[in-house]
Amino acid sequence: MQAYLIFLGIRSALVLRNSWFLHRFGRFWEMLASDSTPPISIVIPAYNEAQGIVDSIRSMSIVRYPRFEIVVADDGSTDETLDRMIEAFDLEIVQIPYRPDIATAPIKAIYRGHSPVDITVVQKENGGRADALNAGVNAARYPYVLCTDADVILDADCLLASMRKVVEDRVRTVAVGGNIRPLNGSRVELGHLVEASVPKSMIPRMQSLEYVRTFLASRPAWSSLEALPLVSGAFGIWKRSAMVEVGGFTPGHFGEDMDLTMKLHRYHLEKGIPYRISYDPSAVIWTEVPETARVLRRQRIRWHRGLMSVVSDFRALTFKRRYGKLGIVTWPGMVLFEYLAPIVEFVGWIVIPTAFLLGALNTASLLALLALAFGIGLLNSLLALMLDEAFGYFNSPRDTSRLLVIALIENLGLRQMTVAWRIRAIFGGKSTMTWGNMERRGVGSLAD
Amino acid sequence: MPDLVLWAVLTVFAIDVVMLVGLIILKAVHRVRMRRDAERRTQYLTLLSRHLTYENAVDPIPSNAAEDEAFLDAVIDLRYTIAGSEIERLSEIATTYDLVSRQEGLLRKRFGGLRRLRAAVSLAELGNEASAPILMEHLDDSDDEIRVQSARGLARMGYTPAIDRIVGRLGEESDWVRARFGDALAEFGEDASAPLMAFVIVNHADGDTSAIVQAIRTLAAIGDYSVGPRIAQVLDLSSNPEVQIAAAGALGGVGGGFAIPSLIDALASSDWRVRAQAATSIGEVGLAENVDDLVASLRDRAWWVRRNSAAALVRLPGGVEALYRALSSVDPFARDAAAEALEDSGELAKAVTNHREQRATRDEARLLRHMRGSGVPGF
Repeated sequence: MQAYLIFLGIRSALVLRNSWFLHRFGRFWEMLASDSTPPISIVIPAYNEAQGIVDSIRSMSIVRYPRFEIVVADDGSTDETLDRMIEAFDLEIVQIPYRPDIATAPIKAIYRGHSPVDITVVQKENGGRADALNAGVNAARYPYVLCTDADVILDADCLLASMRKVVEDRVRTVAVGGNIRPLNGSRVELGHLVEASVPKSMIPRMQSLEYVRTFLASRPAWSSLEALPLVSGAFGIWKRSAMVEVGGFTPGHFGEDMDLTMKLHRYHLEKGIPYRISYDPSAVIWTEVPETARVLRRQRIRWHRGLMSVVSDFRALTFKRRYGKLGIVTWPGMVLFEYLAPIVEFVGWIVIPTAFLLGALNTASLLALLALAFGIGLLNSLLALMLDEAFGYFNSPRDTSRLLVIALIENLGLRQMTVAWRIRAIFGGKSTMTWGNMERRGVGSLAD
Repeated sequence: MPDLVLWAVLTVFAIDVVMLVGLIILKAVHRVRMRRDAERRTQYLTLLSRHLTYENAVDPIPSNAAEDEAFLDAVIDLRYTIAGSEIERLSEIATTYDLVSRQEGLLRKRFGGLRRLRAAVSLAELGNEASAPILMEHLDDSDDEIRVQSARGLARMGYTPAIDRIVGRLGEESDWVRARFGDALAEFGEDASAPLMAFVIVNHADGDTSAIVQAIRTLAAIGDYSVGPRIAQVLDLSSNPEVQIAAAGALGGVGGGFAIPSLIDALASSDWRVRAQAATSIGEVGLAENVDDLVASLRDRAWWVRRNSAAALVRLPGGVEALYRALSSVDPFARDAAAEALEDSGELAKAVTNHREQRATRDEARLLRHMRGSGVPGF
């Protein structure tokens, strides 16, 4: 499995080199001043986000992009989320027609702001994140929608970077993913990232490394193969018309982002419509990740349950030539190395010590196998950290040493912990089918 | 333990150690290089500023400065902050110190990879007329980005012989390159209008739709009033809705009464997108005599057409009054569209305030009644 990840890492390195160069010299501001840059709607689902919703919207409203609107779908919040938005953005109920292209829970009212921020708020009955996103997409005026979360901070150029992929090929591009990075430990002021740092505490630090591995050492490779299986829910640009065609996000799904990505793949491949789902590593957003093992456990169990649902729903794609690279390479890879990986790893934990205890494996062989697993895991992390160097967010020796320390020790317990949670997701039955709460500290208080 | 496993372990750990050391060195080198580059660029900026200010400045610019990327960055940075004769002086310096020829050399390299792109970007940024021939040559480069940068550079230096070549390539390029070529042509301004218009006229019947749409959008961005009648002709003659939408949009931008008959005809198009765009453009032209046409479009079967017509009415003299009148229309679509536009234009907020102060006019009272009757909470 690690060899598979290293292959992706090497492929990603080649892709990133080109992408980095274009990012540096490709002059995104040409798009900023161009009449040809398509407008975009930023869709944010909000459920009980009173604490940070206003700061988030303000931070999003100054992103560098020629024309965009913000659509917030208030998913039946029971706190002051709506009141705070009404006050901050001078919202008023308006009577604009609403296009229910995707079925959602009933809409109560639509508000529009009179402040300089082009904002529309859809107040609706509670239906979950996917349902709220669908309502936001229905209310969106523009042909492309960025579906994101209320607690993220967008890098100033992230829309220009990601929409570049759309401008490159408007007809085929139906979705673009971005590079998500943990915000914990970084300095945030007035809803803006002032200084990026690697978190001190172990749980978010481990996730920092995981995110670097995922978003820099794996996604660019899949994207270059035109077989990206997932556009992350925290930052995904979708072509509105394509979304509507496949029915939008599936309400109640634990992996609604992967589900939608796969629905788009399947729809276009089955209909024979040329398309592409792309990823741009230079489109960066920052998000708060779980600080405690308890919250992380819930998140990982939910993610794996989502993966299980998608694997079950799209099992027909596996090894089918009709589905091209997706069916032959990506999807079997997802099933084998993402879905089944924890089981394989868990079996290893039992088989190897048992073999050792029964004398089938001597001490030297046991140590060699453990060393090999550790060494390859470390190799994968080091490769990802080298790729991260291109972005230059973590330049201080302190940040580098923190990431190196976690790369060295994550295989000594932390990794096993996440495997155990994923096993729990597989065998835990209905007791694991819950969303739980992401206990946020708020973007203003994330520095260690 | 088999030797193979041992070798595998040793190999993996050897690679780990190499990568670990490599990562540490890379980080350290990166840090030092970034700091040094910033320092050198500041030094060059100071030096160049002196040379621009005093013709006989004594501080020498190192003869090999062209080999230093910090010098290139400093020249490009400075290029954005100066004007008039200073630009010519900076061009002289760039030529004297072989900065331009060095970048040209890099661009000509057959296997230069990303260095060629860097060179193309630099030449585009420098905008030095001496590089026009090489940029013309690279309008046919196999690399998309180099073609884009070549067009941009030529536009930046206002090298008009390039216009025909860039226009001619519109039909052969990808969406990305075409959009960037459109930007470059827009930068040429009215010099590019005639070739673009000719391209549209020749190709609108059977050419690549995306290329024609891009050409029309670029004409709209240039805003040359003289091509307006020709664009109106394209709107009349084309049967391709994408071309019609672009033409109707451009007519709104170019303005002028000559556009109105074609736009009115477009309001009857079978494609709702053409009708919606025509309504918006009529609003942009802004003639009072078209109020009735837009009022009629408030009853259109497509929501976007009703919405755009109502929004366009707000821009026309007498349009707001017409919207108030439309609140009494027998057609519920027209009433809703009018109410939305009145809300968007701030009339609703004014009506609410006047109502609170008990001085609402009859029209404002009608608007408030409509909002209450629509079942929207809060009214």
